[in-house]
Amino acid sequence: MADLQDDLHPAAEVGRIDEPYPREAVIVTPETYEPVSDPDAEPLTRAHAVLAAHPVADGYSGLPWALRRLPWYDLDLGESAVDADVPRLRKGQVGAVFWSLHLPEADDGGRAVGATLEQLDLAKAVVAAHDEGLRPARSAGEVADARNCGRVAVLFGPAGAAALGDSLGVLRSLHTLGLRVLTLTGASWAGAAGLTRFGEEVVREMNRVGMIANLSYASAPVIRRVLAVSKAPVLFSRSAARALRPHPANLPDELLADVGRAKGLCMVPLTAEQSGPTVRDVADHLDHVRTVAGPECVGLSGTYDTGGAHPQELADTSCYPRLIAELLGRGWDETEVALLTWGNVQRVLREAHFTAHVAQQRRPPSTATIEDLDG
Amino acid sequence: MTSLDQARELLREFPVVDGHNDLPWALREQVRYDLGARDIAGDQSAHLHTDLPRLRAGGVGAQFWSVYVRADQPDPVPATLEQIDCVRQLLARHPRELAPALTAADMEAARGQGRIASLMGAEGGHSIADSLGTLRGLYDLGVRYLTLTHNFNVAWADSATDEPGVGGLSAFGREVVREMNRLGMLVDLSHVAATTMRDALDATSAPVIFSHSSARAVCDHPRNIPDDVLERLPANGGVAMVTFVPKFVLQAAVDWTAAADENMRAHGLHHLDTTAEGMRIHRAFEEAHPRPVATVSTVADHLDHMREVAGIDHLGIGGDYDGTAFTPDGLNDVSTYPNLIAELLDRGWSKADLAKLTWKNAVRVLGAAEDVARHLQETRAPSNATLASLDT
Repeated sequence: MADLQDDLHPAAEVGRIDEPYPREAVIVTPETYEPVSDPDAEPLTRAHAVLAAHPVADGYSGLPWALRRLPWYDLDLGESAVDADVPRLRKGQVGAVFWSLHLPEADDGGRAVGATLEQLDLAKAVVAAHDEGLRPARSAGEVADARNCGRVAVLFGPAGAAALGDSLGVLRSLHTLGLRVLTLTGASWAGAAGLTRFGEEVVREMNRVGMIANLSYASAPVIRRVLAVSKAPVLFSRSAARALRPHPANLPDELLADVGRAKGLCMVPLTAEQSGPTVRDVADHLDHVRTVAGPECVGLSGTYDTGGAHPQELADTSCYPRLIAELLGRGWDETEVALLTWGNVQRVLREAHFTAHVAQQRRPPSTATIEDLDG
Repeated sequence: MTSLDQARELLREFPVVDGHNDLPWALREQVRYDLGARDIAGDQSAHLHTDLPRLRAGGVGAQFWSVYVRADQPDPVPATLEQIDCVRQLLARHPRELAPALTAADMEAARGQGRIASLMGAEGGHSIADSLGTLRGLYDLGVRYLTLTHNFNVAWADSATDEPGVGGLSAFGREVVREMNRLGMLVDLSHVAATTMRDALDATSAPVIFSHSSARAVCDHPRNIPDDVLERLPANGGVAMVTFVPKFVLQAAVDWTAAADENMRAHGLHHLDTTAEGMRIHRAFEEAHPRPVATVSTVADHLDHMREVAGIDHLGIGGDYDGTAFTPDGLNDVSTYPNLIAELLDRGWSKADLAKLTWKNAVRVLGAAEDVARHLQETRAPSNATLASLDT
């Protein structure tokens, strides 16, 4: 991410002085962190104490799509057919979760917009039907509100780029409906060669409305270009370290370093395929990302209910304390754990909001079309 | 005091709720949503029927902005979201003049503030792509009515201007109506076949609207409402919003349009052909046969009849400005509603009657739909029905 005051397009704003937006106002880090656990206690006891104050914000869940095939379910009581329900989210000390909107494979853009509306509708209906445990959230503030009410905050996204139907008006409408994360894959303007001109305009408009870019599975040229163009932090909703495990969505060290410089967020998936078969493997990835990208740029992505196998002892959403205990046992500082589980996601949500607020003072809604820019 | 002065005074207290205005479509077609290129804060009479000064002059207090899109495209949903986005941008650009409105209470609040309550209506069932989830998405985005069809049938409802298909509403069509009732989205029966009107009146538990339709007994055109349907409005509680479109309201214009279409076909062209050759033939016809002109009185005749059949509590106004190329003499753009009110005053309509016509009836109907929705939501969950599950 470029600094907010570092406007890449000053010519668009003639005759008005750019007022630098103080970074301190954007990044609210806990200035004096008060430890919440006894350093001499067992790691699992400490993990529960830390998570009680700094619960997990889980970057990726496939739950709404998984529920589609169930004729009947009750997430309040417990639902063994899926990896997540309210009792297990509570046991896992999850405070917020991103629900991915799955588009049917056959949708190559033809009906993707309507399918996205249906997925959003389904996700909202599931949340509404379980309002004792879940609450929809659109911003860092609403996430905090949900937590203060003892509810798990549900954020909508990521959705694939096909959801836009190549239209910035659709982007704005989806944002209005509550979509907050968009994955920059699966569209003509974000392919193997990088972003097209329209693709760059999409990123600028995402910044303007407060839609966060997800770059897991995006091509390296797209990742580099978005890191340069985006004024808000990006996230990788499902990416571990390629240095430890080769997988197309895992990030090589040089990209992890770029993510660290841009203050993005690499959310490590709890899947055997990407991170490895044990808790220790996942912790190795978290160690590595923390070292290369930095402690403020690493997060957790349960990736539950997506069909993949999970590492031992991390079979469902109730298992986060076991992972946190592993990290504390390895000597992770409590402040770093707090950033990993909760603080970093809150920062990204807040910065996306601030960036949008600033951009809306400067730019009207974009009327660009893909025909105009990409010919 | 002339009746025009009286009309203006009346409209200051009870302004017009207009059921249908196609400004978003005009902005899409003319300038691809470059709202600065058609700034409605100033005079746009060279390009549009609608701008803010003329809405003010016309005494408009609430407007249902149509988020119409063409039905003859593979996927109408993205375009519909773009149209909705356009309305939201208009609201963001003109916050002092336009008030976002989702409810009857919002409409009353806007009237109190002297702003124009802005609501949205989707014109045609094609905009929901046979999906109740998409219908709910449009509701969440602020759409408060859905016209069940536009000029062509959808899989679950017949249009007034297409061949009979399912013979009114199919089972899924009735489910669409029920789900709209549950949401509090008004069922709009303009553009639909009379069979669809009757089926929808049977299926609905909330008042319906006709966002822009006139009386078929006065002018025999399928876009207008037959008397047997108008007669059902008192029991339903709905409102028929009279439209001004000359080729629907004036019999001579209906006949002229039919003759012009026949002339095009006689030249081997489609009647809506807009190629240079088609336009030339059409212009030649128009020179030989001058286009009949509707007037304020033509529209008032419809209202007199609709009042007789449906009653004063079931009338409203839906001009279809910027959705029609031609307008009646004296009702040329959105500044001209006072001419219609003056004409009705001259015909002996009381101030209380006119307050119902312009404001009270339409606001009552939206409020009633909200009440029905609140009630239904206590007992009914969102419907998961699909076209395939009900109509095969």
